Amino acid sequence: MSLVVRRTLLAVAVVLLMFLVVAPFYWIFISSVKLPPEIIASTPTLFPQSFTTQHYDNLLGGSPFLPYLGNSLVVALGTMIITVILSTLAAYGLYRLRFPGRRLLFRVILITYAFPGVLLLIPLYGLLSDVGMIDTLWALIVVDVTLAAPFATWMLQAFFRTIPMELEEAAALDGATRLGVIVRILLPLAAPGVASIAIFAFITSWTEYMFASVLIISDANRTLPVGLAGIIGQYQIDWGLLMAGATMTTLPVLLLFALVGRNFVEGLTAGAVK
Amino acid sequence: MSASTAQPRRRGVGTPRWLGYAFVLPLMLWLAATILVPLAQSVALSFQNVRVIGTPGEFVGFANYTRLFESERFWEAFGRSLIWVLGNAALQTVLAFAAALILKQNFPGQKVARIWIILSWIVPTVVVVIIWRWLLSASGGIVNYALVALGITQEPIGFFSTGDGAFASVIAINSWRWFPFQAVILLAALQRIPSELYEAASVDGASTLQKFASITLPGLQSVLFVMGLIGTLMSFNVFDVIWLLTAGGPSSATTTLPVLIYDTGFRQFRLSQAAAISVVTGVFLLLFALVFMRFAAPPSDDGEEERL
Repeated sequence: MSLVVRRTLLAVAVVLLMFLVVAPFYWIFISSVKLPPEIIASTPTLFPQSFTTQHYDNLLGGSPFLPYLGNSLVVALGTMIITVILSTLAAYGLYRLRFPGRRLLFRVILITYAFPGVLLLIPLYGLLSDVGMIDTLWALIVVDVTLAAPFATWMLQAFFRTIPMELEEAAALDGATRLGVIVRILLPLAAPGVASIAIFAFITSWTEYMFASVLIISDANRTLPVGLAGIIGQYQIDWGLLMAGATMTTLPVLLLFALVGRNFVEGLTAGAVK
Repeated sequence: MSASTAQPRRRGVGTPRWLGYAFVLPLMLWLAATILVPLAQSVALSFQNVRVIGTPGEFVGFANYTRLFESERFWEAFGRSLIWVLGNAALQTVLAFAAALILKQNFPGQKVARIWIILSWIVPTVVVVIIWRWLLSASGGIVNYALVALGITQEPIGFFSTGDGAFASVIAINSWRWFPFQAVILLAALQRIPSELYEAASVDGASTLQKFASITLPGLQSVLFVMGLIGTLMSFNVFDVIWLLTAGGPSSATTTLPVLIYDTGFRQFRLSQAAAISVVTGVFLLLFALVFMRFAAPPSDDGEEERL
């Protein structure tokens, strides 16, 4: 095959792939700034002919979007903090220390990661209701940490691996305490990994729908996915409002991903292929 | 494997043995409290007749299980779950392989593309659902507009109005969400195959197909194993895409087991019955995992220890 043909084919393939992934997002964003008649026009316009912020105004002013966003932020940040603490501690023990049963524990954590969350739906509801946590944001934090922490621990493996043991030993010989070694040597070196699992925990929580739809009862405590789903379910679908909501819900994830996307993808794949 | 695996792990200077357990303990306690305890409760619940949580139930023995095994709805959902897993696996494998092979090439913007490809995987499912509801809408959706404009169909298609159509659409949408994730993992695995192998094979006159069969596939064996196992379990588990797109309908055509569990527990308020479905599903998945690990596990080598 000649070079020109090869290049052209590759270019077409790349464009098709990117189109498949990105075009739907372009389409909802574009729709969110069109005036209602243009949104439902029988001939769709690929570039908006009208421009309006009315859907965003409605979303922020006329719907409970902001309280939902606040709840989602609280749950996602709580999940992130607890996951980072639990997973970093566990990863240090699993990948930097040696003790009998280490491999078994590692496997148990891997299995919990693949464990189907839907099987926990019924009993967790019962358990959280026994301890009076139903309809609180804490209930969601508890569940989301369980969903995120096993994979987060796994992701850290690749990052901890790259740090030579000798660094720790040298610091220990210099009289540093173990905590000092962890905080001053290990964590700064593993910072990209810790950032990746923080983002992973945030995203896991930010996107969780199933538990949030069952464990939260009052409207005031709803998170974004459940709140948005409520708007879909209404009698007359207001597409402009929905598009604005979808865009606004995607935005925080995009921002975070723009910051640490590269590390995140590295961590994601490093665990699986090693 | 990398140099760090080959080097024997030391216990560090003056490390007591219990220290390792101490670091892992908080996570293990958390997981035990939120997975192990609920699982035990689930089994207990499945032998009672609780309808709504908080109301007392009586011990009813295997009544929930016998009802389950006699219920047509359960077996239909079971069958649908199998089709769901197979359909998703087939579609995602093809798309992911194609995407990984494309991204492996050199082209301008390749670094950005390799990261942002997983966009559809990191956005909330609700957003995925809103996007596709809008794209596939029978009134004003751009996909239908394109199909009619290109003369492929006369009338707009109601993608979610027939049972088969809805099921196929949901599988396609879920695959759209997941294939980039698989592609990124496949790509990382592909990049670890030494390019010298391909060069040597080319010198020996091997065809593209031969290279794929004798270099690429064996090189991907372990990652395909992990994806086959974990991917299947995670795919089986998918609930929100289906629920938000079709709520299991039309007339239960998209009710897979997770949807059935949710519906039974929180729409029909028969918690004990839902717990019984969970237990049976869990046992089935466990059996699947054991069989899969027994027969599909790649031969282990030195670096295998951290893998499943």
